[in-house]
Amino acid sequence: MLARVAGEFYWMGRYLERTEQTARLLEYQLTRLVDSPAEDLAAGWAAVYRALRQPPLEAANEAVDAERFLMADAYTLAGSLVEESANPHAVLSCWAAARENAKQVRPQLPLRVWTCLNQGFLWLRGNEFAEWWTRSPSALVAEVVDRLRLFFGVVEARMPRDDAWRFLELGRFVERVQHQTCLLDTWNGFGRRPPAGRRLPWSDLLRVCGAYELYCRNHSMAVERETVLDLLIRSPELPRSLRFAVQRIGEMLSGIDPGGGRYPMAPAHQTALRLAAAVEVEKARRAGEPGGSDFFPSLQRDGRKLHDLIMSAYVDYPAAGEALP
Amino acid sequence: MQDRQRQGSDTGPAWECAGSGSFSRYQTDPTFYDEMFSANGEPRDSSRRMNAALAATTSDDLSKVQEGVVRRFLHEGITFTVLAAEQVTEQIIPIDCVPRLITADEWAHVERGLKQRLTALNLFLKDVYHEGRVLRDGVVPPDLVLGCPQYRTEMRGMKAPHDIYVAVCGTDIVRTHDGFAVLEDNLRVPSGVSYMLACRAAMKGAFPALYREHRVREVSGYAERLYATLASLSVAVAEPRVAVLTPGRYNSAYYEHAFLAGEMGVELVEGRDLVMRDAALYARTAAGLRRIDVLYRRVDDDFLDPLAFRSDSVLGAAGMLHAYRAGNLVLANAPGTGVADDKSLYAYVPRIIRYYLDEEPVLANVETHLCREPEGLAFTLDHLDQLVVKEVGGSGGYGMLIGPHASAAERAEFATRIRANPANYISQPVLALSRAACFVDGRLEPRHVDLRPFVLQGPQEQHVVPGGLCRVALRKGSLVVNSSQGGGCKDLWVLDA
Repeated sequence: MLARVAGEFYWMGRYLERTEQTARLLEYQLTRLVDSPAEDLAAGWAAVYRALRQPPLEAANEAVDAERFLMADAYTLAGSLVEESANPHAVLSCWAAARENAKQVRPQLPLRVWTCLNQGFLWLRGNEFAEWWTRSPSALVAEVVDRLRLFFGVVEARMPRDDAWRFLELGRFVERVQHQTCLLDTWNGFGRRPPAGRRLPWSDLLRVCGAYELYCRNHSMAVERETVLDLLIRSPELPRSLRFAVQRIGEMLSGIDPGGGRYPMAPAHQTALRLAAAVEVEKARRAGEPGGSDFFPSLQRDGRKLHDLIMSAYVDYPAAGEALP
Repeated sequence: MQDRQRQGSDTGPAWECAGSGSFSRYQTDPTFYDEMFSANGEPRDSSRRMNAALAATTSDDLSKVQEGVVRRFLHEGITFTVLAAEQVTEQIIPIDCVPRLITADEWAHVERGLKQRLTALNLFLKDVYHEGRVLRDGVVPPDLVLGCPQYRTEMRGMKAPHDIYVAVCGTDIVRTHDGFAVLEDNLRVPSGVSYMLACRAAMKGAFPALYREHRVREVSGYAERLYATLASLSVAVAEPRVAVLTPGRYNSAYYEHAFLAGEMGVELVEGRDLVMRDAALYARTAAGLRRIDVLYRRVDDDFLDPLAFRSDSVLGAAGMLHAYRAGNLVLANAPGTGVADDKSLYAYVPRIIRYYLDEEPVLANVETHLCREPEGLAFTLDHLDQLVVKEVGGSGGYGMLIGPHASAAERAEFATRIRANPANYISQPVLALSRAACFVDGRLEPRHVDLRPFVLQGPQEQHVVPGGLCRVALRKGSLVVNSSQGGGCKDLWVLDA
């Protein structure tokens, strides 16, 4: 597979995952618009923007942020994350970027996979957010999530398990690690220092991550911070847990570059392994550092480093020193 | 109603309502050959079944078929890119859901003519880059060839594998009352074959029973044949690695490049993927460098190799021509083939056929006046209001003047340009392009069409795809079929016996 094509699949996976993250968070927040107090909504918007690494306002202070969210127009905030073309995190921007990547790899993409992605984009582009706003804005983003599930269902059914699929999955799960660490860090931070006196319910985090039912089945309806974090970090069964994602990254790297996992281990494999170890031992570390852990920022740094190493090893490597086959 | 003036004819009334049902408002015009109806307004024998089926289909049902076909193109992203005012827009290629039919006998004639033409042009290319007999013998003026911007001195003395310079050819053919004629040879990077295949797939879905009943010759094996042709060009390697070179996704034919690479199961490479080492071409893969033996390049000569051609190009790879010369790389089509599809040289193709093959051309040329010659220039300037004037290196319907449709000011402006650089222009009479039934604005109406069949040339055999890109001027009365100028496409059914 061409290095450039590998990069396109990787970025396609990242952008589609980013689309889903933005849509899930928006679905959560837009659903709350109906019956939540204004202060809770403000805290929610602050969390959504921070989890998406979006700087909505210049003020750094969380309390000021929340106050300004309170005043801000929810329509503007939501619209910015749905269809604002200048916002790279907007659902439409992410989907469009993924489609551009897909266009570059059409020869390697089964027709049904491309068609599903293209149809989803055309549907999304053809929608007026203003119209949905007057009816049910959360239904729009819920539909986005459904269409993404459909897309990945078609991917599961139609794509051979070759390097194209592996790079797509690799991108998806690298993005997921980066996003989930940011999301958990955001909720954890709000738990410690709530803006404007508002805390974000841990049950909401479970819902955003699609883990509420699993939590209730395995634990109880009494939702507690430690147990929630433990589930979202260490569960091997939950697709949006950090452990699940880093395991998946390891599997994909082993498939792409089997030799990289043997001594002397390739840097990308090393970093993936370090991430897996960090997630494994997290519980003990967190117990020793209540409330003040550097755990999530450290994971974010490793996630970014992993991305750089993947790109430099398989996509952007200098051809000058490369040996001939 | 059409606003075209009635033209003198003794073949019958100028405006005929040709049929019933969906054809009830279809008007034939004896000026133009109608692909479906004969001069007396009756369906041609080969079209009776199609005519009856369409006539029996309501306008609503045809609308649904048309919408379904367009939706399919939209969802599958069958597009072309238009660059206008520095904006890149992606448009689906307009498609018409009514197929055009050609009988087996008609096709046999076209096929024979295309094979003859390509054989002669490959011999011509070998000759002008080696001995130059055709120039010495006065068949073609030397300055026309040697002064042509598409003549590549870098190719002089360079042997093309199996002497095949043009492996993939797309020839534009028109039909008038006088029969089929060649309008243009496309010997560099002819495009449109993907639209032909997409049209066919859509038509099979839209009219499955009709398609089966008509016993249409199949085109779906094109990619397989293309791959076999490209692979067969390799002299040095038994199992060559083939790739398609594209300028990138902003190129107007990017969809086609991706489609062909996908169908052939080969890599679609760009200049940034390529590395030259030891006079051989490699692609950067995720697992290191991998050799490429045959490159189906869809990039113009100018951009192939910055060391040989345009030094600012990043669309190819520096040293590619050296690899070609060393026999480590096959380029299809070979650099320098543009000299044989230059619009000035076109006028000499019948002579070229006679010179190399000692045969009369099977397919006629369109009468052409070369402005580079004093008589041609004078005739062109004197009859601008009756002629189509084209730039010799132009394509896509750009840089041309359709005299009868142009204003006096436009003609005067064009005359100035012609006088300033006569060698850059040719002129031809306005052709009475044949018309085929199209579903437009909820009813069947005739529209002008042309045809681009594709020919593959391998060391052992020539293959003419039994079909082609049938381009349609969808605007009423328009003769311009280019997709960038309001044209569309429709499927062409070559009937099997």
